Amino acid sequence: MAIIEQEPSIAALPSGAARTAAKPLGAFSRPRNPVGLKNWLTTVDHKKIGIMYGTASLFFLLWGGIPALLLRLQLARPNQGLLSGAAYNQIFTMHGTVMIFLVVMPMGAAFANYLLPLQVGARDVAFPRINAFSFWVFLAGGIMLNTSWFLGGGANGGWFNYAPNNGITYNPGVGIDFWNVGLLIAGIGSLTGAVNLITTVLNMRAPGMSWMRMPIFTWMTLVTQFLLLFAIPVLTVAQLLLLFDRRFDGNFFNVDQGSDPLLWQHLFWIFGHPEVYLMILPAFGIVSEVIPVFARKPIFGYPFMVFSGIAIGFMGWGVWAHHMFVSGIGPLSVTAFAVATMFIAVPTGVKVLNWLATLWGGKLILNTAMLFSIGLVTQFTLGGLSGVSHAVASADTQQTDTYYIVAHFHYVLFGGALFGFYSGLYFWFPKAFGYKLNEKIGKWNFWSMVVGFNLTFGPMHILGLQGMPRRMQTYDASQGFNTWNMVATIGSFILGVATLSILYNALVSYRAWRRAGRPDVGPDPWDARSLEWSIQSPTPEHNFDVSPTVTDLDDFWHHKYQEDDNGVLRRIATGKEVAQPGNGEGVHLPAPSYWPLVLALSFPLIGYGLIFSLWLCIPGVVLLITALYGWSLEPADDLDDDHGHGDHHERELVGANG
Amino acid sequence: MSTTTPQAVVDDHAPSHADDHEHHPTVITYWLTFVALVILTAVEVLWSYLPLDGVALVVPLLVMMVVKFAIVGGVFMHLQTDFKILNGYWFTLAFGIAIALAVAVYITVYATFKFQI
Amino acid sequence: MAETTATEDLDHEGAAAAEFADQLNDTPSDFVHHEEHYTSLGLSNMKLAMWLFLGSEVLLFGALISTYLLSKTRFITELVAGNPYVIEGISNGENGALVNEMIAEASVEPLFDIPFTSLSSFILLMSSLSMVLAHKSVTEGNYKNLRIWLSTTMLLGATFMAGQVYEFTTFYREGLTYDGSLLGTAFYTLTGFHGAHVTGGLIMLGSLIYLSFKNKMQMDRAETVELVGLYWHFVDIVWVLIFTIVYLIP
Ligand code: HEM
Ligand SMILES: [Cu+2]
Repeated sequence: MAIIEQEPSIAALPSGAARTAAKPLGAFSRPRNPVGLKNWLTTVDHKKIGIMYGTASLFFLLWGGIPALLLRLQLARPNQGLLSGAAYNQIFTMHGTVMIFLVVMPMGAAFANYLLPLQVGARDVAFPRINAFSFWVFLAGGIMLNTSWFLGGGANGGWFNYAPNNGITYNPGVGIDFWNVGLLIAGIGSLTGAVNLITTVLNMRAPGMSWMRMPIFTWMTLVTQFLLLFAIPVLTVAQLLLLFDRRFDGNFFNVDQGSDPLLWQHLFWIFGHPEVYLMILPAFGIVSEVIPVFARKPIFGYPFMVFSGIAIGFMGWGVWAHHMFVSGIGPLSVTAFAVATMFIAVPTGVKVLNWLATLWGGKLILNTAMLFSIGLVTQFTLGGLSGVSHAVASADTQQTDTYYIVAHFHYVLFGGALFGFYSGLYFWFPKAFGYKLNEKIGKWNFWSMVVGFNLTFGPMHILGLQGMPRRMQTYDASQGFNTWNMVATIGSFILGVATLSILYNALVSYRAWRRAGRPDVGPDPWDARSLEWSIQSPTPEHNFDVSPTVTDLDDFWHHKYQEDDNGVLRRIATGKEVAQPGNGEGVHLPAPSYWPLVLALSFPLIGYGLIFSLWLCIPGVVLLITALYGWSLEPADDLDDDHGHGDHHERELVGANG
Repeated sequence: MSTTTPQAVVDDHAPSHADDHEHHPTVITYWLTFVALVILTAVEVLWSYLPLDGVALVVPLLVMMVVKFAIVGGVFMHLQTDFKILNGYWFTLAFGIAIALAVAVYITVYATFKFQI
Repeated sequence: MAETTATEDLDHEGAAAAEFADQLNDTPSDFVHHEEHYTSLGLSNMKLAMWLFLGSEVLLFGALISTYLLSKTRFITELVAGNPYVIEGISNGENGALVNEMIAEASVEPLFDIPFTSLSSFILLMSSLSMVLAHKSVTEGNYKNLRIWLSTTMLLGATFMAGQVYEFTTFYREGLTYDGSLLGTAFYTLTGFHGAHVTGGLIMLGSLIYLSFKNKMQMDRAETVELVGLYWHFVDIVWVLIFTIVYLIP
């Protein structure tokens, strides 16, 4: 995808001097219309930021997937010595950490960034520069985390990194520190991102876009961002306590001083359980957008979809100790949390039933996006069922720390979240890039993923129930685990190739599109329902020419279809006819800025300082302060809140608010 | 932020935050609030010196703490006035629920340590 | 991403022109309309964002406070468990008294100087008052009072911090070290976190004062003052909690 932007003709612009003169706090100037790489490094456009999140996420998918295949190779046959125990520990830890924090979370952020402003009818997010910062600081943290491979070895405590194993006594290497500091830094990005996106949804909706007219994806992402907002600080505290313990001889998890290492488990899982929901909810949102479009029916039970999402958001806070059933928290707590966990299955089940009811009786169009969505509904449900079986605490005593758990979370995360994301990629690709992905390769992509996925993780249910412990580097031939492990390994390679084939698809589709002379897919290639399809593809830089005025749920759809006198739904217009032409004259967009990137770069510097030598923190802090001041002194004509309202007069006239 | 912009008051369907300051407390209210806070703090400190034990000591202290919390939030942070301009009170409600949730979560953690039966 | 079309060029120009038009109106003393944007909730974006951020801080301090409480309990339990006299249980006659005494001695309470800390709390409360008065002044366009109140707030905040430094050094000298005990770690971490937040607030206040002396903090930016105020009051609220929970409740 070439990014060609032509220099606008400068002649028409007022001279630079005239502009700076009027800048209220002016000290620094913002780059104007940069091209190429610089364009991406300084962009504050939510669409580009979304694309960068997506790209980073796909890169980390590859980066975290290769270690997974190594793990499977090691386990293919009994008593293999391909990986040492130490290497195995590091690899599974880094695999899990990368997949969760650097693949699934940013992919959710990618869709959120690209789509939220479009779906609520806004020009951009509330704070474009903070948005860019969120991305860069996430990337900085992610890369820093992974540099541990070259600077002393990866973390080896599992992605949940339990105390006291994570203490300096048991784990003197720097791996844990990288895990700790890298994720702290990435967490800053999640937090600022959450504040930004929530503000956008709450405050920047187009006229008439009331709560119960918001698309389900917007709703689910809103819940996700609230979960992030409240969950990230808890993880932050846990990590800071650990940091103080490891670097400054604190005693939070020091059993010698009477501390209770269970504190880590509590803090981690208070974060951790909301975390698993915030990983799956964006995918739920995507599926709830895709299924109605290709079932040619409105979503069944919209309010139930919304409220079950909110319910999940709340209940997700009351179940964390189901990860700790065998940690000795006592029967009273175990009972309470077991019951709570069973209850949380209810809103989740409501969602599945609603998707099924939407599919029921629809004129299904089984293209790739739809297939992946249906894939989520089936595979996630399998994972959900094994989840309910963990909720039975007495049964879980047998399941925990076996491959049964590994099977569970891969069904929900891979079969759930990742399938949903793939569905979203196929669905919104034409909106972002202006051409569709190839359907034939897409179908291969889907079916090979389904086969590979079930071959890999299906057998793990059996292995787990047979008693194969997770996180063991090998097993003995006499234990009876041989066959299914071999099957899982074969499956994993199929899955690996299948997962990557989307990149091949993008390449092939791009070439075909270019060869055909870059035909226009039109604003609404799928005959879809929400606002983002009412503008040209790829999305114009300014999103909407004028703020749309919303009068209905699925407003755009109702511009295309209306009931005739007999109550039959009839097409009255095509998407192309009712879409906005993409003329952004007079729209005021914020200029790009260097400071988000610069500010983000100061964090890993401080991070390395915390790990290796506090002296390194000094340049980091200096950079931090410079960037903060540079940021706030940037010319006010580009004030973040001065944006996305080129048409605020119309808005005030319409004056709806939901 | 101006209280003088005329257009801000015209359209009551589109609440602009420009009008929120009109309802902000007066200087007197701020001073009175402060006095109340100081008195509460003084009572708290004195209470902690009383020869009390257990519930009789702790509960009143906690109550006074919560009251102080609410006063600072309500008056100094304009919760009381700012959120009136939002549709209904749902926003304040949502925040209340969020804080309650946080408190409940942490109390539960504490409880699981206490009752390992 | 597709190549640029002629329309996009137009966009740039259109945007730039609109920007310039904006500039003309935006003389420093009069860009009131910047603050007049329509928002769905009727609350400015910045303010909403600040509230969200503070919401997340609630969870942060919640975790720190519960960690402190837990650590304190564990610290005492450990003392009791490590004491040969109390196999029978603590509140048991003579032994009980002995143990209580021992706990009292080893714990932080005897270190606390309640009158001193009460004074600190009073100072912080007072700074909250001066902060709202600063905001009031700026909304009324009284920039002289704005400077006075902002400076008062900063001074009071700095005094509070000085008090904390003094307290830390005294405690440290009396034997409560960061790495020496669970209690020490927990105590310094919690109060230190609060202190760090106060320091952050002081930096913001400093910037506000600087800007107001340069006549750049005026009525149209009253919201900035209010936002710093929100943060400052929040830090004050956290101290209200810490003061009661850590200092007053034994
Ligand atoms: C080709 C695809 C994948 C394969 C073959 C694979 C395989 C594995 C294996 C073998 C383990 C280690 C089990 C153990 O010994 O404890 C594991 C753990 C894990 N995987 Fe995957 N995985 C894949 C994709 C994913 C994805 C997409 C995610 C996240 C969305 C993910 C999340 C995790 C997590 C969280 C753990 C646990 C790490 C820990 O316990 O610390 N995996 N996976
Ligand atoms: Cu869970």
